[in-house]
Amino acid sequence: MAKAYRLIFDENLCIGCQACNVACRLENDVPEGVYRLQVHVTTQGVFPHLGMHFERRSCVMCDEPPCVSVCPTGASFQSKDGLVHIHESQCITCKYCILACPYHARFINPLKNVVEKCTFCFDSRLSKALDPACVSVCTTEALRFGDVSQENSAVAMLSRKETLLFPKAHLGTKPKVCFIPARKGVKV
Amino acid sequence: MSPMWGSTAQYEVIHWSWAIAVYLFLAGISAGSIIVALLVKWNRHERSNSSIWDAMIKSGTLVAPVSILAGLFLLVADLGRPLSFYWLLIRFNPLSVMSLGVLFLLIYTPIVLVFTLLVFERTIVKYTWLLPLGSFIEWVKSLHSYAKTIEYFLMAAALCVGSYTGFLLSALYAIPLWNSPVLPIVFLTSSISSGIAVNILIGLVFFKSTINTESIKYLLVLDLRVIMTELPLLGIFFVGLFYGGGEVSSVAKAALSHGGLALVFWLGVIGIGLLLPLATVILALRSHVYRVRYILTNATAVLLGVLLLRYYIIYAGQIYLG
Repeated sequence: MAKAYRLIFDENLCIGCQACNVACRLENDVPEGVYRLQVHVTTQGVFPHLGMHFERRSCVMCDEPPCVSVCPTGASFQSKDGLVHIHESQCITCKYCILACPYHARFINPLKNVVEKCTFCFDSRLSKALDPACVSVCTTEALRFGDVSQENSAVAMLSRKETLLFPKAHLGTKPKVCFIPARKGVKV
Repeated sequence: MSPMWGSTAQYEVIHWSWAIAVYLFLAGISAGSIIVALLVKWNRHERSNSSIWDAMIKSGTLVAPVSILAGLFLLVADLGRPLSFYWLLIRFNPLSVMSLGVLFLLIYTPIVLVFTLLVFERTIVKYTWLLPLGSFIEWVKSLHSYAKTIEYFLMAAALCVGSYTGFLLSALYAIPLWNSPVLPIVFLTSSISSGIAVNILIGLVFFKSTINTESIKYLLVLDLRVIMTELPLLGIFFVGLFYGGGEVSSVAKAALSHGGLALVFWLGVIGIGLLLPLATVILALRSHVYRVRYILTNATAVLLGVLLLRYYIIYAGQIYLG
Protein backbone atom coordinates (compact mmCIF):
# COMPACT_ATOMS: atom_id res chain seq x y z
CA MET A 1 0.00 0.00 0.00
CA ALA A 2 1.22 3.50 -0.79
CA LYS A 3 2.57 5.40 2.18
CA ALA A 4 1.33 8.74 3.40
CA TYR A 5 4.50 10.14 4.89
CA ARG A 6 4.39 13.12 7.17
CA LEU A 7 7.12 15.01 8.97
CA ILE A 8 6.00 17.18 11.86
CA PHE A 9 8.25 19.93 13.21
CA ASP A 10 7.21 21.17 16.64
CA GLU A 11 8.39 24.77 17.01
CA ASN A 12 7.72 24.55 20.76
CA LEU A 13 10.23 21.76 21.27
CA CYS A 14 12.98 22.99 18.94
CA ILE A 15 15.97 24.55 20.70
CA GLY A 16 17.86 25.50 17.54
CA CYS A 17 20.77 23.12 18.18
CA GLN A 18 21.22 22.38 14.43
CA ALA A 19 21.86 18.69 15.09
CA CYS A 20 19.39 17.95 12.27
CA ASN A 21 21.30 20.25 9.93
CA VAL A 22 24.64 18.59 10.75
CA ALA A 23 23.20 15.07 10.52
CA CYS A 24 21.77 15.91 7.09
CA ARG A 25 25.12 17.18 5.84
CA LEU A 26 26.93 14.06 7.05
CA GLU A 27 24.33 11.63 5.77
CA ASN A 28 24.02 13.20 2.32
CA ASP A 29 27.50 14.67 1.74
CA VAL A 30 26.07 18.15 1.28
CA PRO A 31 28.85 20.44 -0.01
CA GLU A 32 29.91 23.52 1.89
CA GLY A 33 27.82 26.64 1.41
CA VAL A 34 24.55 24.93 0.46
CA TYR A 35 21.88 23.31 2.61
CA ARG A 36 19.27 20.61 2.13
CA LEU A 37 18.03 21.45 5.58
CA GLN A 38 18.66 24.24 8.02
CA VAL A 39 16.83 25.73 10.96
CA HIS A 40 16.75 29.49 10.79
CA VAL A 41 16.89 31.03 14.23
CA THR A 42 15.56 34.56 14.62
CA THR A 43 14.88 36.80 17.58
CA GLN A 44 11.46 38.32 17.54
CA GLY A 45 9.63 40.95 19.55
CA VAL A 46 10.66 44.16 21.28
CA PHE A 47 12.84 44.21 24.41
CA PRO A 48 12.06 43.04 27.06
CA HIS A 49 9.40 40.87 25.40
CA LEU A 50 11.66 38.83 23.22
CA GLY A 51 11.23 35.36 21.84
CA MET A 52 13.16 32.95 19.71
CA HIS A 53 11.70 31.65 16.51
CA PHE A 54 12.82 28.45 14.81
CA GLU A 55 11.99 27.83 11.21
CA ARG A 56 12.81 24.62 9.36
CA ARG A 57 13.91 25.31 5.78
CA SER A 58 13.87 22.23 3.59
CA CYS A 59 11.91 20.53 0.85
CA VAL A 60 8.36 20.03 2.13
CA MET A 61 7.62 17.12 -0.24
CA CYS A 62 4.48 18.49 -1.88
CA ASP A 63 1.71 16.14 -2.94
CA GLU A 64 1.16 18.57 -5.83
CA PRO A 65 4.76 19.54 -6.60
CA PRO A 66 5.28 22.47 -8.98
CA CYS A 67 8.89 21.36 -9.51
CA VAL A 68 7.73 18.11 -11.13
CA SER A 69 5.22 19.63 -13.54
CA VAL A 70 7.70 22.19 -14.90
CA CYS A 71 10.57 19.73 -15.44
CA PRO A 72 11.05 19.31 -19.21
CA THR A 73 12.92 16.01 -19.00
CA GLY A 74 11.12 14.18 -16.21
CA ALA A 75 14.29 14.27 -14.09
CA SER A 76 12.23 15.76 -11.30
CA PHE A 77 9.63 13.12 -10.51
CA GLN A 78 7.22 11.90 -7.88
CA SER A 79 7.37 8.32 -6.61
CA LYS A 80 4.39 6.09 -5.82
CA ASP A 81 4.68 7.13 -2.19
CA GLY A 82 4.32 10.76 -3.24
CA LEU A 83 7.96 11.61 -2.54
CA VAL A 84 9.65 14.00 -4.93
CA HIS A 85 13.05 12.91 -6.20
CA ILE A 86 15.56 13.87 -8.89
CA HIS A 87 17.11 11.52 -11.45
CA GLU A 88 20.61 12.95 -11.51
CA SER A 89 21.49 11.58 -14.93
CA GLN A 90 18.45 13.16 -16.61
CA CYS A 91 18.85 16.56 -14.99
CA ILE A 92 20.17 19.13 -17.46
CA THR A 93 20.38 21.79 -14.73
CA CYS A 94 18.08 24.21 -16.53
CA LYS A 95 17.14 25.52 -13.08
CA TYR A 96 13.44 25.79 -13.99
CA CYS A 97 12.45 23.68 -10.95
CA ILE A 98 14.54 25.82 -8.60
CA LEU A 99 12.58 28.87 -9.74
CA ALA A 100 9.26 27.02 -9.58
CA CYS A 101 9.68 25.96 -5.94
CA PRO A 102 7.82 28.34 -3.60
CA TYR A 103 9.84 26.98 -0.65
CA HIS A 104 13.29 27.64 -2.19
CA ALA A 105 14.18 24.09 -1.29
CA ARG A 106 16.31 23.36 -4.33
CA PHE A 107 19.84 24.35 -5.10
CA ILE A 108 22.68 23.39 -7.41
CA ASN A 109 25.18 20.99 -5.92
CA PRO A 110 28.40 22.85 -6.82
CA LEU A 111 30.42 19.63 -7.02
CA LYS A 112 28.10 17.59 -9.25
CA ASN A 113 26.45 20.54 -11.00
CA VAL A 114 22.99 19.01 -10.66
CA VAL A 115 19.90 20.18 -8.83
CA GLU A 116 19.57 18.72 -5.36
CA LYS A 117 17.28 18.83 -2.36
CA CYS A 118 16.04 16.87 0.66
CA THR A 119 14.98 13.31 -0.17
CA PHE A 120 13.86 12.29 3.36
CA CYS A 121 17.16 10.32 3.14
CA PHE A 122 15.34 7.90 0.87
CA ASP A 123 18.26 5.90 -0.55
CA SER A 124 20.37 5.58 2.56
CA ARG A 125 17.71 5.32 5.27
CA LEU A 126 14.01 5.51 4.40
CA SER A 127 14.15 2.66 1.90
CA LYS A 128 15.59 0.56 4.76
CA ALA A 129 12.68 1.55 7.02
CA LEU A 130 14.85 4.01 8.97
CA ASP A 131 13.74 7.54 9.81
CA PRO A 132 15.45 10.42 7.98
CA ALA A 133 18.78 11.42 9.59
CA CYS A 134 17.40 14.73 10.91
CA VAL A 135 14.57 12.98 12.73
CA SER A 136 16.82 10.29 14.18
CA VAL A 137 19.16 12.81 15.84
CA CYS A 138 16.65 15.38 17.05
CA THR A 139 17.51 15.88 20.71
CA THR A 140 14.09 17.08 21.85
CA GLU A 141 11.79 15.02 19.60
CA ALA A 142 10.79 18.23 17.88
CA LEU A 143 10.86 16.23 14.64
CA ARG A 144 8.46 13.33 14.19
CA PHE A 145 8.24 11.26 11.06
CA GLY A 146 6.01 8.42 9.92
CA ASP A 147 3.03 7.22 7.95
CA VAL A 148 -0.20 9.07 8.82
CA SER A 149 -2.28 6.36 7.20
CA GLN A 150 -1.19 4.06 10.09
CA GLU A 151 -3.63 4.97 12.86
CA ASN A 152 -1.21 4.21 15.67
CA SER A 153 1.87 5.92 14.28
CA ALA A 154 3.29 8.77 16.32
CA VAL A 155 2.60 11.27 13.52
CA ALA A 156 -1.02 10.15 13.18
CA MET A 157 -1.62 10.54 16.90
CA LEU A 158 0.14 13.90 16.97
CA SER A 159 -1.88 15.04 13.94
CA ARG A 160 -5.14 14.24 15.75
CA LYS A 161 -4.03 16.06 18.88
CA GLU A 162 -2.35 19.18 17.57
CA THR A 163 -3.18 22.01 15.23
CA LEU A 164 -0.90 21.57 12.25
CA LEU A 165 0.17 24.36 9.94
CA PHE A 166 1.18 23.55 6.38
CA PRO A 167 3.61 26.07 4.91
CA LYS A 168 2.13 28.25 2.14
CA ALA A 169 -1.00 26.07 2.19
CA HIS A 170 -2.85 28.65 0.08
CA LEU A 171 -0.76 27.58 -2.92
CA GLY A 172 -2.38 24.16 -2.93
CA THR A 173 0.92 22.29 -2.98
CA LYS A 174 -0.16 20.03 -0.07
CA PRO A 175 3.16 19.65 1.75
CA LYS A 176 4.05 16.51 3.70
CA VAL A 177 6.18 18.58 6.07
CA CYS A 178 4.14 20.61 8.53
CA PHE A 179 4.67 22.32 11.83
CA ILE A 180 3.09 22.86 15.18
CA PRO A 181 3.29 26.64 15.64
CA ALA A 182 4.85 28.17 18.75
CA ARG A 183 2.21 28.64 21.45
CA LYS A 184 4.05 31.51 23.12
CA GLY A 185 3.81 34.49 20.84
CA VAL A 186 5.65 37.78 20.82
CA LYS A 187 4.81 40.95 19.01
CA VAL A 188 6.82 40.88 15.85
CA MET B 1 14.86 39.64 9.17
CA SER B 2 18.12 37.85 8.57
CA PRO B 3 18.50 34.87 10.86
CA MET B 4 21.08 34.84 13.67
CA TRP B 5 21.71 31.20 12.74
CA GLY B 6 21.51 29.93 9.20
CA SER B 7 22.53 31.11 5.75
CA THR B 8 20.22 32.74 3.24
CA ALA B 9 22.84 32.89 0.49
CA GLN B 10 21.41 29.98 -1.48
CA TYR B 11 17.99 31.66 -1.72
CA GLU B 12 19.45 34.79 -3.25
CA VAL B 13 21.15 33.24 -6.27
CA ILE B 14 20.03 34.56 -9.65
CA HIS B 15 19.44 31.25 -11.41
CA TRP B 16 18.34 32.68 -14.74
CA SER B 17 20.81 35.36 -15.68
CA TRP B 18 21.39 37.77 -18.55
CA ALA B 19 21.85 34.82 -20.93
CA ILE B 20 18.18 33.89 -20.51
CA ALA B 21 17.15 37.53 -20.94
CA VAL B 22 19.12 37.68 -24.20
CA TYR B 23 17.62 34.37 -25.32
CA LEU B 24 14.09 35.67 -24.70
CA PHE B 25 15.06 38.75 -26.70
CA LEU B 26 16.50 36.73 -29.61
CA ALA B 27 13.57 34.30 -29.72
CA GLY B 28 11.23 37.32 -29.74
CA ILE B 29 13.19 39.00 -32.55
CA SER B 30 13.15 35.81 -34.59
CA ALA B 31 9.42 35.24 -34.23
CA GLY B 32 8.68 38.94 -34.67
CA SER B 33 10.75 39.33 -37.83
CA ILE B 34 9.09 36.31 -39.46
CA ILE B 35 5.62 37.54 -38.48
CA VAL B 36 6.45 40.92 -40.02
CA ALA B 37 7.96 39.35 -43.15
CA LEU B 38 4.83 37.26 -43.65
CA LEU B 39 2.55 40.26 -43.08
CA VAL B 40 4.51 42.21 -45.71
CA LYS B 41 4.38 39.25 -48.07
CA TRP B 42 0.63 38.86 -47.69
CA ASN B 43 -0.33 42.51 -47.66
CA ARG B 44 2.36 44.27 -49.69
CA HIS B 45 3.34 41.88 -52.46
CA GLU B 46 1.17 42.09 -55.52
CA ARG B 47 1.95 38.60 -56.69
CA SER B 48 2.45 35.97 -54.04
CA ASN B 49 5.10 34.20 -56.14
CA SER B 50 7.08 37.32 -57.02
CA SER B 51 10.75 36.55 -57.34
CA ILE B 52 11.85 40.07 -56.44
CA TRP B 53 11.49 39.98 -52.72
CA ASP B 54 10.75 43.05 -50.69
CA ALA B 55 13.66 44.14 -48.46
CA MET B 56 11.46 43.53 -45.41
CA ILE B 57 10.97 39.89 -46.39
CA LYS B 58 14.66 39.49 -47.08
CA SER B 59 15.68 40.93 -43.74
CA GLY B 60 13.02 38.93 -41.90
CA THR B 61 14.17 35.68 -43.39
CA LEU B 62 17.79 36.59 -42.72
CA VAL B 63 17.30 37.69 -39.11
CA ALA B 64 14.90 34.93 -38.03
CA PRO B 65 17.18 31.90 -38.48
CA VAL B 66 20.32 33.70 -37.30
CA SER B 67 18.72 35.00 -34.12
CA ILE B 68 16.91 31.79 -33.20
CA LEU B 69 20.06 29.69 -33.73
CA ALA B 70 22.15 32.16 -31.73
CA GLY B 71 19.49 32.17 -29.02
CA LEU B 72 19.33 28.38 -28.86
CA PHE B 73 23.11 28.19 -28.64
CA LEU B 74 23.05 30.63 -25.73
CA LEU B 75 20.23 28.68 -24.07
CA VAL B 76 22.09 25.38 -24.23
CA ALA B 77 25.34 27.00 -23.14
CA ASP B 78 23.58 28.43 -20.09
CA LEU B 79 22.46 25.00 -18.88
CA GLY B 80 24.37 23.71 -15.88
CA ARG B 81 25.17 20.63 -17.98
CA PRO B 82 25.10 21.78 -21.61
CA LEU B 83 26.12 18.40 -23.02
CA SER B 84 23.08 16.69 -21.51
CA PHE B 85 20.68 18.95 -23.47
CA TYR B 86 19.65 15.95 -25.60
CA TRP B 87 17.32 14.88 -22.78
CA LEU B 88 15.14 17.81 -23.89
CA LEU B 89 14.73 16.09 -27.25
CA ILE B 90 14.06 12.55 -26.09
CA ARG B 91 11.76 13.37 -23.19
CA PHE B 92 8.53 15.32 -23.40
CA ASN B 93 6.44 16.68 -20.56
CA PRO B 94 3.27 18.30 -21.92
CA LEU B 95 2.78 20.10 -18.58
CA SER B 96 6.13 21.85 -18.85
CA VAL B 97 6.19 25.07 -20.87
CA MET B 98 9.89 24.46 -21.49
CA SER B 99 9.04 21.14 -23.13
CA LEU B 100 6.32 22.79 -25.22
CA GLY B 101 8.85 25.46 -26.21
CA VAL B 102 11.23 22.77 -27.45
CA LEU B 103 8.37 21.32 -29.51
CA PHE B 104 7.49 24.73 -31.02
CA LEU B 105 11.15 25.42 -31.81
CA LEU B 106 11.59 22.02 -33.46
CA ILE B 107 8.70 22.84 -35.78
CA TYR B 108 9.50 26.52 -36.24
CA THR B 109 13.25 26.48 -36.89
CA PRO B 110 13.30 24.09 -39.92
CA ILE B 111 10.43 25.92 -41.66
CA VAL B 112 12.22 29.23 -41.13
CA LEU B 113 15.42 27.78 -42.61
CA VAL B 114 13.55 26.56 -45.70
CA PHE B 115 11.83 29.93 -46.10
CA THR B 116 15.26 31.59 -45.94
CA LEU B 117 16.64 29.25 -48.63
CA LEU B 118 13.74 30.15 -50.91
CA VAL B 119 14.14 33.88 -50.46
CA PHE B 120 17.89 33.79 -50.95
CA GLU B 121 17.80 31.25 -53.77
CA ARG B 122 19.58 33.54 -56.25
CA THR B 123 22.43 34.18 -53.83
CA ILE B 124 22.75 30.50 -52.99
CA VAL B 125 22.91 29.20 -56.57
CA LYS B 126 25.87 31.49 -57.22
CA TYR B 127 28.09 29.31 -55.09
CA THR B 128 28.99 25.93 -56.51
CA TRP B 129 29.68 24.39 -53.10
CA LEU B 130 26.06 25.11 -52.19
CA LEU B 131 24.74 23.18 -55.22
CA PRO B 132 23.09 20.36 -53.25
CA LEU B 133 20.99 23.07 -51.61
CA GLY B 134 19.93 24.20 -55.08
CA SER B 135 18.29 20.88 -55.86
CA PHE B 136 16.66 20.91 -52.43
CA ILE B 137 15.26 24.36 -53.20
CA GLU B 138 13.92 23.05 -56.54
CA TRP B 139 12.18 20.24 -54.68
CA VAL B 140 10.67 22.69 -52.18
CA LYS B 141 9.51 24.90 -55.04
CA SER B 142 7.67 21.94 -56.56
CA LEU B 143 5.44 22.12 -53.47
CA HIS B 144 4.45 25.70 -54.27
CA SER B 145 0.77 24.85 -54.36
CA TYR B 146 0.98 24.35 -50.58
CA ALA B 147 2.91 27.60 -50.07
CA LYS B 148 0.08 29.54 -48.48
CA THR B 149 -0.77 26.69 -46.09
CA ILE B 150 2.86 26.40 -45.03
CA GLU B 151 3.01 30.16 -44.52
CA TYR B 152 -0.06 30.08 -42.28
CA PHE B 153 1.53 27.22 -40.38
CA LEU B 154 4.77 29.20 -40.02
CA MET B 155 2.79 32.20 -38.79
CA ALA B 156 1.15 30.01 -36.13
CA ALA B 157 4.52 28.55 -35.12
CA ALA B 158 6.02 32.05 -34.90
CA LEU B 159 3.14 33.22 -32.71
CA CYS B 160 3.78 30.21 -30.44
CA VAL B 161 7.52 30.94 -30.24
CA GLY B 162 6.84 34.63 -29.60
CA SER B 163 4.46 33.96 -26.74
CA TYR B 164 5.76 30.76 -25.14
CA THR B 165 8.63 32.68 -23.54
CA GLY B 166 5.99 34.63 -21.64
CA PHE B 167 4.16 31.48 -20.56
CA LEU B 168 7.53 30.00 -19.55
CA LEU B 169 7.77 32.68 -16.88
CA SER B 170 4.09 33.13 -16.05
CA ALA B 171 3.73 29.41 -15.26
CA LEU B 172 5.73 29.86 -12.04
CA TYR B 173 3.49 30.86 -9.15
CA ALA B 174 6.52 30.97 -6.89
CA ILE B 175 7.56 34.21 -8.61
CA PRO B 176 4.89 36.91 -8.20
CA LEU B 177 6.21 39.27 -10.85
CA TRP B 178 6.15 36.54 -13.51
CA ASN B 179 2.92 34.85 -12.51
CA SER B 180 0.70 37.15 -14.57
CA PRO B 181 -1.58 36.12 -17.44
CA VAL B 182 -0.70 39.38 -19.20
CA LEU B 183 3.02 38.58 -19.48
CA PRO B 184 2.78 36.36 -22.61
CA ILE B 185 0.79 39.07 -24.43
CA VAL B 186 3.32 41.70 -23.36
CA PHE B 187 6.16 39.52 -24.67
CA LEU B 188 4.41 38.73 -27.95
CA THR B 189 3.58 42.39 -28.55
CA SER B 190 7.10 43.53 -27.83
CA SER B 191 8.56 40.79 -29.99
CA ILE B 192 6.45 41.96 -32.94
CA SER B 193 7.71 45.46 -32.20
CA SER B 194 11.31 44.22 -32.22
CA GLY B 195 10.61 42.31 -35.44
CA ILE B 196 9.49 45.50 -37.17
CA ALA B 197 12.52 47.37 -35.88
CA VAL B 198 15.08 44.75 -36.83
CA ASN B 199 13.60 44.27 -40.30
CA ILE B 200 13.71 47.98 -41.02
CA LEU B 201 17.23 48.22 -39.62
CA ILE B 202 18.63 45.28 -41.59
CA GLY B 203 16.64 46.28 -44.67
CA LEU B 204 18.10 49.78 -44.63
CA VAL B 205 21.61 48.53 -44.10
CA PHE B 206 21.79 45.53 -46.46
CA PHE B 207 18.91 45.58 -48.94
CA LYS B 208 18.53 49.26 -49.73
CA SER B 209 17.94 48.64 -53.44
CA THR B 210 14.76 46.61 -52.87
CA ILE B 211 13.27 48.86 -50.21
CA ASN B 212 9.74 49.87 -50.92
CA THR B 213 8.80 53.10 -49.11
CA GLU B 214 5.21 51.94 -49.08
CA SER B 215 6.09 48.88 -47.04
CA ILE B 216 8.22 51.00 -44.69
CA LYS B 217 5.20 53.21 -44.19
CA TYR B 218 3.04 50.15 -43.64
CA LEU B 219 5.48 48.92 -40.99
CA LEU B 220 5.75 52.29 -39.26
CA VAL B 221 1.96 52.44 -38.96
CA LEU B 222 2.03 48.89 -37.61
CA ASP B 223 4.80 49.90 -35.20
CA LEU B 224 2.71 52.81 -33.97
CA ARG B 225 -0.19 50.45 -33.27
CA VAL B 226 2.03 47.91 -31.54
CA ILE B 227 3.61 50.54 -29.28
CA MET B 228 0.17 51.95 -28.48
CA THR B 229 -0.86 48.42 -27.48
CA GLU B 230 2.26 47.68 -25.50
CA LEU B 231 2.10 50.80 -23.32
CA PRO B 232 -1.37 50.08 -21.89
CA LEU B 233 -0.50 46.37 -21.65
CA LEU B 234 2.44 47.17 -19.38
CA GLY B 235 0.07 49.37 -17.37
CA ILE B 236 -2.44 46.53 -17.09
CA PHE B 237 0.38 44.16 -16.12
CA PHE B 238 1.36 46.26 -13.10
CA VAL B 239 -2.19 47.25 -12.16
CA GLY B 240 -3.01 43.54 -12.12
CA LEU B 241 -0.11 42.94 -9.75
CA PHE B 242 -1.18 45.81 -7.48
CA TYR B 243 -4.66 44.33 -7.26
CA GLY B 244 -3.10 40.95 -6.42
CA GLY B 245 -2.82 42.08 -2.80
CA GLY B 246 -0.39 41.02 -0.10
CA GLU B 247 3.11 40.20 -1.22
CA VAL B 248 2.22 40.52 -4.91
CA SER B 249 1.37 44.22 -4.44
CA SER B 250 4.53 44.88 -2.46
CA VAL B 251 6.63 43.09 -5.07
CA ALA B 252 5.15 45.26 -7.83
CA LYS B 253 5.77 48.41 -5.80
CA ALA B 254 9.37 47.43 -5.07
CA ALA B 255 10.05 46.48 -8.68
CA LEU B 256 8.83 49.89 -9.87
CA SER B 257 10.49 52.03 -7.23
CA HIS B 258 13.67 50.37 -5.90
CA GLY B 259 17.21 50.77 -7.11
CA GLY B 260 18.75 50.33 -10.51
CA LEU B 261 16.13 47.96 -11.85
CA ALA B 262 13.35 50.52 -11.47
CA LEU B 263 15.59 52.90 -13.42
CA VAL B 264 16.03 50.26 -16.13
CA PHE B 265 12.25 50.04 -16.37
CA TRP B 266 11.34 53.72 -16.38
CA LEU B 267 14.27 55.03 -18.36
CA GLY B 268 15.10 52.02 -20.54
CA VAL B 269 11.83 50.22 -21.18
CA ILE B 270 9.35 53.11 -21.03
CA GLY B 271 11.57 56.07 -22.03
CA ILE B 272 13.95 54.71 -24.65
CA GLY B 273 11.97 51.65 -25.67
CA LEU B 274 8.45 53.07 -26.04
CA LEU B 275 8.17 56.87 -25.73
CA LEU B 276 11.18 57.75 -27.92
CA PRO B 277 10.09 55.42 -30.78
CA LEU B 278 6.54 56.68 -30.40
CA ALA B 279 7.76 60.24 -30.91
CA THR B 280 9.95 59.38 -33.91
CA VAL B 281 7.25 57.30 -35.59
CA ILE B 282 4.66 60.03 -35.22
CA LEU B 283 7.18 62.57 -36.53
CA ALA B 284 8.08 60.41 -39.54
CA LEU B 285 4.46 59.63 -40.40
CA ARG B 286 3.35 63.24 -39.97
CA SER B 287 5.95 64.78 -42.22
CA HIS B 288 5.83 61.88 -44.72
CA VAL B 289 9.59 62.00 -44.75
CA TYR B 290 11.20 58.69 -44.02
CA ARG B 291 14.53 60.13 -43.13
CA VAL B 292 17.03 57.35 -42.58
CA ARG B 293 18.31 58.93 -39.37
CA TYR B 294 14.83 59.02 -37.80
CA ILE B 295 14.10 55.48 -38.76
CA LEU B 296 17.44 54.15 -37.56
CA THR B 297 17.01 55.94 -34.22
CA ASN B 298 13.55 54.49 -33.93
CA ALA B 299 14.64 50.94 -34.68
CA THR B 300 17.66 51.01 -32.37
CA ALA B 301 15.60 52.46 -29.52
CA VAL B 302 12.89 49.82 -29.95
CA LEU B 303 15.43 46.99 -29.92
CA LEU B 304 17.20 48.33 -26.84
CA GLY B 305 13.85 48.75 -25.08
CA VAL B 306 12.74 45.20 -25.88
CA LEU B 307 16.05 43.78 -24.63
CA LEU B 308 15.81 45.84 -21.43
CA LEU B 309 12.22 44.70 -20.86
CA ARG B 310 13.36 41.05 -20.89
CA TYR B 311 16.33 41.88 -18.69
CA TYR B 312 14.15 43.78 -16.23
CA ILE B 313 11.49 41.09 -15.97
CA ILE B 314 14.05 38.29 -15.57
CA TYR B 315 16.02 40.02 -12.83
CA ALA B 316 13.24 41.85 -10.99
CA GLY B 317 11.25 38.61 -10.84
CA GLN B 318 14.07 36.76 -9.10
CA ILE B 319 15.11 39.65 -6.82
CA TYR B 320 11.71 40.81 -5.58
CA LEU B 321 10.09 37.67 -4.24
CA GLY B 322 7.94 39.24 -1.50
